[in-house]
Amino acid sequence: MTNAAGAHPITVEVVRNSIVAYADEMANALCKAAYNMMIYEVRDFCCGLIDTQGRMISQNRGGLPIFLADLGVAVEDGIKRWGLDGFKPGDILIMNHGEVCGQHLNNVVLYAPCFVDGELVAFAANRAHWVDIGGMRIGFGSSLTTEIFAEGLQMRSLKIYEAGVRNETLWQIIQDNVRFPQACLGDMRAQIASCQLGARRYGELVQRYGRDVVEACIDRIWDQADMTVRSVIEKIPDGVYVAESALDNDGRNLDQPIKIKTTVTIKGSTMTVDFSEMNPQTHSPLNSGKSGGIAAARVAFKAITSPELDVHDGCFRALDVIIPEGTIVSARPGTAIGLWSIALPTTIDTILKALAPALPHVIPAAHKGDMGGCSFYGFREDGSRFLLLNIFGGGWGGRPTEDGEDASVSVCQGDVRNTPVELQEIRYPVLVEEHALREDSGGAGEYRGGLGVRITYRSLVPCKVTINCERTQVPPWGLCGGGVGAHNVAVIHSQGVADRTVYKGTEIQLLKGDSVTFLTAGGGGYGDPKKRDRAEIANDVAQGFVSPARASEFYGWRAGA
Amino acid sequence: MNIVGIDIGGTFTDLVGCVDGRIVTSKTSTTPADPTLGVATSLALAACHLPSLSEVLHGSTIAINTVLERKGAVTGLITTKGFRDVYAIGRGNRIEAFNLWFHRPKPLVERRHTFEVHERINANGDVMTAIDTAEVERLALELKEAGVEAVAVCFLHSYANPDHEKIVGDILRRVNPTLFVTLSHEILREFREYERTSTTALNAFVGPRVRNYLNTLETYLRGESFGGKVHIMRSNGGVMSLDQARVQPVSMMESGPVAGMIGAGRLAAHLGLEQCIGFDMGGTTAKSSLITRGQPAIEDGYVIGDHASGQPMQLPVVDIVEVGNGGGSIAWVDLSGGLHVGPKSAGADPGPACYGKGSMDPVVTDADLMLGRINGGRFLDGAMQLDIAAAGRALDEKVGKPLGLSTMEAALGVATIADNNMSLSVRAVSVNKGVDPRETSMIAFGGAGPLHAIAIAREIFIPQVIIPKLPGTFSALGMLMASWRQDFVRTLVGRLGGLDKSIVERVFNELAADGKAQMQRDGVSGDVADFRFYADLRYVGQEHALSIRIENADLLSGDTSLVRGRFHEEHDQRYGQAAVEEQLEIVNLRLVLTAPRADTLAEQWLTEPWTPTDDKPETARDVVYDDPKNPLRARVLWRPSMPAGMSITGPAVIEEPNSTILIHPGDKVTVTEAGHLIVDIARKD
Repeated sequence: MTNAAGAHPITVEVVRNSIVAYADEMANALCKAAYNMMIYEVRDFCCGLIDTQGRMISQNRGGLPIFLADLGVAVEDGIKRWGLDGFKPGDILIMNHGEVCGQHLNNVVLYAPCFVDGELVAFAANRAHWVDIGGMRIGFGSSLTTEIFAEGLQMRSLKIYEAGVRNETLWQIIQDNVRFPQACLGDMRAQIASCQLGARRYGELVQRYGRDVVEACIDRIWDQADMTVRSVIEKIPDGVYVAESALDNDGRNLDQPIKIKTTVTIKGSTMTVDFSEMNPQTHSPLNSGKSGGIAAARVAFKAITSPELDVHDGCFRALDVIIPEGTIVSARPGTAIGLWSIALPTTIDTILKALAPALPHVIPAAHKGDMGGCSFYGFREDGSRFLLLNIFGGGWGGRPTEDGEDASVSVCQGDVRNTPVELQEIRYPVLVEEHALREDSGGAGEYRGGLGVRITYRSLVPCKVTINCERTQVPPWGLCGGGVGAHNVAVIHSQGVADRTVYKGTEIQLLKGDSVTFLTAGGGGYGDPKKRDRAEIANDVAQGFVSPARASEFYGWRAGA
Repeated sequence: MNIVGIDIGGTFTDLVGCVDGRIVTSKTSTTPADPTLGVATSLALAACHLPSLSEVLHGSTIAINTVLERKGAVTGLITTKGFRDVYAIGRGNRIEAFNLWFHRPKPLVERRHTFEVHERINANGDVMTAIDTAEVERLALELKEAGVEAVAVCFLHSYANPDHEKIVGDILRRVNPTLFVTLSHEILREFREYERTSTTALNAFVGPRVRNYLNTLETYLRGESFGGKVHIMRSNGGVMSLDQARVQPVSMMESGPVAGMIGAGRLAAHLGLEQCIGFDMGGTTAKSSLITRGQPAIEDGYVIGDHASGQPMQLPVVDIVEVGNGGGSIAWVDLSGGLHVGPKSAGADPGPACYGKGSMDPVVTDADLMLGRINGGRFLDGAMQLDIAAAGRALDEKVGKPLGLSTMEAALGVATIADNNMSLSVRAVSVNKGVDPRETSMIAFGGAGPLHAIAIAREIFIPQVIIPKLPGTFSALGMLMASWRQDFVRTLVGRLGGLDKSIVERVFNELAADGKAQMQRDGVSGDVADFRFYADLRYVGQEHALSIRIENADLLSGDTSLVRGRFHEEHDQRYGQAAVEEQLEIVNLRLVLTAPRADTLAEQWLTEPWTPTDDKPETARDVVYDDPKNPLRARVLWRPSMPAGMSITGPAVIEEPNSTILIHPGDKVTVTEAGHLIVDIARKD
């Protein structure tokens, strides 16, 4: 790239805003044309522009934080395989390989090379959660697999289009090996169009200003971000900060907790996150590749250093991640990784917890700590197959000067939305009987933890449900004297049988008329509950956020006082 | 035919009318305690005689300010049993994905004022649990005791079957006739319970205050023997009757800003501008909108307030980006010595320090006065004498002293920061959408718009700025060009080609009946009404739909190939692909019903040849541009005296009754045949 100092400041501004606008436009085209709610409602996707060295030029706003500048590794693999001169205009590549991408195979990357006057200048790429990818896993939360080969179809840097011609063999293989071919191929069409759009837009930009100028601007943008990030780290006292927490179990061996231990070192203007002492990889699918660990470190890092900046390679230069192979966030090739994201919210919270003593006015108490969601699977009365997926929010931790937010998605999920009840009932044979705040679930504190959610589904046909509640043993912690939040739990109600409490279970059979209530965790409290403003306590009781009994137990509240 | 448009903003009340074949205007301070005083003053200043007027068009910020200031009614919410917290839970999303201190929208209704009723309707509209009227009767009394002034009712699937909402509405209205009741299906018959609840709650929250306001206005107008029609500007770029505004105030949230953009769109069309940015700077905010081929962009809905924590409103709205910077925005210095402008505004009262009403908070207008950019003797056409000494004292006290700056340095700092802030909102509708400002132009209006537009254009390299005739009252002028407009929607889910003809016809007929009922209520003639039906279509399995124009019900039930073709084409254009082999599904049917204005007075005026109306000689004064120590000698011209074809080069100041245009050194301004000003910005290479 040319000398960054040469970029005209106004051109830098145009480039800065344009490259993100293109990624947003790609996201819009993908989201609006998508066939599965994991994309159009849950926004479980990311779009971006990648340079010819595999670096992230820009990424769409909103969407999943854990898809953080990690499209590059997918594209890099293709560059290695095909060589920079191995791409032609009209090529589209598909990629979800477990070893390279480190995420469950449902997360499929599509990308298109961007050519200007015959020269390859960049790639436009996106990743989206396909509703199915074959294999023995259906929906969310299955603990059945022990190696990746049971988890579905793997595609490593394959050309689904070559110079504009569709690879019919590959297309047919995909069509015949996924449970919902119409949705998967529809999503793939939307992904392809989105990549083509991004490549076209970036090509126009390069055409207008010249490759040298655009790349000089990008360098300048990265440098500016890096300077901002470093100036924040410099204000954090140097030191080694350690914190530990745990997940309940790997879903197969229910007695063995999983250690989450992070060591954060601040030195001058750099931060190092060390995952050496994380739990070894498990024998269940509760593992991710290295990219999972890096994503967790990056989310925590970005939240502390530059939450307001756009996402690109320049944001993470001041971060080092030490991540030896073989931990649950850096599993070896061939390992099952179907539950790749489960450990990440807790890992991020643990990094933040480590830094809490260094940043006492910045770090809130722990949030709900899991990805949160449900998955119902079966056949409608007309014989058609359905898979209902939904995402639940929960409580966020109390903050050093204010209460935590209620019913919000995890730190790994940003502009991720729950599905409207009306839409679920239009589409699936279920009746939602309640969607409510979970009273009394927020951890006590001077600043109370936010509330979790209570939602009940009644099945109108026989079907299966997969439940994956985490963090019941180490519930969302408080800080500075605050109490813990209520933990996640699910309860199955069947006719003529006592209610069953379930934390983890794969493909549990439900009869027509059975119902499942999911209760999501509350956030931890911040500060001593005794210091909580009396008027706030009275208001909590009046609004029903806190019951009179709990108010008197934790806050010394008395009716009429 | 004599018509006037009156736009009440946070700071000023603007009037534009077409009376006896000529344009009349006035501008006066808004009178928050009783806005009709400002209306009366503006009418008097423009020498408008109410009995001789046939129509009053009106836009007001009352609805949106009620939300932003959270000063609405004590509002209750009634939901289906089990769904009390739908409004608080929302969609659970965190737009500021990396912000550990994010805030989500805070409901306008307290949880203790949210009540559940035993009832349930399923997605087909079938009643699963019948409503218990006795329970509702009890609830009506309970609401009364709780001091609830307005209530929103939103039941699950009421878009499919509104019967239960209607029953509750009847009981509440009977038991408590003064209660302001909003039923969700009356506002929006579309699925998605959270967005529908939020829109309904917004309507209830602002309802009583807006209703009182409109009643006061009507009483005043009728008391002055006005016998014509009153129309209220809506967020969708059209107008509605007073009666409709009283029950659906939520649709007038953006009434003022939208009218200006409608006017800017018409002007852009007349000038043949493919793409331009409408920029409107008033007393409290600056607004920008991207206008393509004369049409401001329309969104399906938006959030009121901050993008991450604002209140969702799911009715069609002109797409406007707003920033809290206007002439009245207060300049302040934070603890670390950072200088800020806005978002707090001095409003109309006490107003800027230079109004001499005792305010010691310096605002942008004080800085502009200090810098010589506005003429203290000619403000509001000389109706108000500005006190430059008071402006200087406030700037010294609150900005100069804390930062160790001279008065003039402080003033220039305030103006520069305001310009920077406003550039952001212009960026949001240009570069942020991939539009290079170097390839657009800007139409600038609002009282303070022409004063600051050129600095903004220079900052982000917009090559051309157009200042229309009457920029200071352009929003009110835009109203005179707005059509009567109604948007109706019905959720109807089914496969295209597999739909029963009678069901499609029934829904079309229902929509048309709704439209005709509203026409009848508003006295709109069937001869002029334009019924445009649209079907929201998608490929089977998709979620998001595209609105496709449908001329009649037959297109959806008989041979559907025409509709399919249109859909594939639109899908390809928007998303770069189409799947011609796939099946299509209908989600909603929509009706956009408009009735054009009977007159084209305002549009004629926009294009008619301009002749000077006055003959004041040119003068000169010192104006500070970039260097506080070295003001430049600027030509000072009186716009009403400038003939078509006249062309001058800055530094210059062009004054007119309700606005001032600041021309920077080297910029060239030309008067068009119709009297608009075109400013070509000097390139700085």
